[in-house]
Amino acid sequence: MAVSFSNFCCIRRLLISSTSCSRAYLSGFKSNLSLDKLYPTSRLDITTIPKAPESKDGKFSGYIPMDKIQVNYVRSGGPGGQNVNCVSTKTEVRFHLASADWIPEPIRVKLAERVKNQISKEGYFIVKSERTRSQQLNLADTLDKLRNLIHSVAQSLVVPEVSEETLERQRRLRERAARERLKEKRAHSMTKQGRQSPTLDS
Amino acid sequence: MAGVGNRVLAGTDRALDLLRELPRLSLSNIRSNPKAFKRNKRGRGQHGGKKHGAGNKGSGQRQNFMRLGYETGNNPFYLRVPKEPYYKGHHIRREYPPISLMQLQTLIDTGRLDTSKPIDLTALCNTKLFQLSPFENQYGFQLTDEGLDNFKGRINIEVQYAPEQVIAAIEKNGGVITTAFYDAPSLIAMRDPMKFFASGTPIPKRQMPPENAVEYYTDPKNRGYLADPDLVALERFKLAQKYGYELPDLKKDPELLPMMLERKDPRQIFFGLNPGWLVNLKDKKIFEPEDEQLLEYYRS
Repeated sequence: MAVSFSNFCCIRRLLISSTSCSRAYLSGFKSNLSLDKLYPTSRLDITTIPKAPESKDGKFSGYIPMDKIQVNYVRSGGPGGQNVNCVSTKTEVRFHLASADWIPEPIRVKLAERVKNQISKEGYFIVKSERTRSQQLNLADTLDKLRNLIHSVAQSLVVPEVSEETLERQRRLRERAARERLKEKRAHSMTKQGRQSPTLDS
Repeated sequence: MAGVGNRVLAGTDRALDLLRELPRLSLSNIRSNPKAFKRNKRGRGQHGGKKHGAGNKGSGQRQNFMRLGYETGNNPFYLRVPKEPYYKGHHIRREYPPISLMQLQTLIDTGRLDTSKPIDLTALCNTKLFQLSPFENQYGFQLTDEGLDNFKGRINIEVQYAPEQVIAAIEKNGGVITTAFYDAPSLIAMRDPMKFFASGTPIPKRQMPPENAVEYYTDPKNRGYLADPDLVALERFKLAQKYGYELPDLKKDPELLPMMLERKDPRQIFFGLNPGWLVNLKDKKIFEPEDEQLLEYYRS
């Protein structure tokens, strides 16, 4: 019944070193509410790094490879005393747009067109943020801006499939609008003519 | 002449004879002198009678009194202070005293926290720099983002609440963070384990979080201790993308990996000690229950 203190510590260490890698925390005490009973189909592994989603078929997946972009921290502007003068909180993310193969080609072309004022002479596209007081939060904001920009460009490239009925309806509505406009124009013309003095011919 | 039978008795003899013959003195054969006390003639209703608890004259006796709390026209005390919805349930709300990342980094740098072992509430309380009072609705510690940019420690930490950017900061440096719930008796045991062991009570089993906390602790985004670890892995990746860092591969460091992945069971309070065990510090022994019912209880 009694388990001596020192023996017990050895047992625990033995248990932990005997199991492999990621399931180490399952050794030791297991109640009816342990993770393997709560999630029986799960691999119970927090160390797996999923594969990055690919940007294929001209669609942007949302994944930004951190090794393909450069992050710079500089000092922000505005008031703030010692903190703003000394701490580099402004975050700049830059990358060479033309050679960025993580962005699909059509999106890259349209993006270059849209942000041509924010591309440097060497062809580097720069996104900045100094929204918060923290470097990390500003970096998150910068990446958020970049991602939203690429997504909006991708959206603008997508031509929505319109059905024949919709096209037909749009054509009819356009023609009706033209007819109404001409009708009103004619009526206005008659009004103006009616204000002229009559001639022998009319 | 008084006497029994043929005998003629004198004074004392007569008295003694009387004593012998008469019955024992009791309450049933004595009586007060006349006019010693006055009998109450009216009232009725036994002891609630006469004035019937209504006192003398006035509105009290005439059943014409004002309602409880009324102060004859001026704003009564119970209406003076208005009800404020903002404090509704304030006595029930759980509190989590803060620990900033800056403080955590300082503790690691000065050697007050051992980064080679998992850091939990007990480790933080053992530094004696933070006080936790479960009696005042405090349910553990929360990590704040002060010192977010300069945090460099690689730790396996378990707290009760951490915002997203703090989770990102810890995982960026190759660490692991978990949020876990402890009920009040578990907290009392955890914050001073030596005192708890000295009390001679077996280690209790940790209770499940209350209803309004279940969602938080089962969410992989919050790194809850009841969340699916596979989903936690996915969230780690997503957070790395959001905050712009390359997610470190924990498997690259095989010596540190077991320590990094060490986690408690949802019913466990101390690392390496099971609920139901009785720790005897003096004799350096641990007693565990053998009875099947007890084991079943502590395992359930």
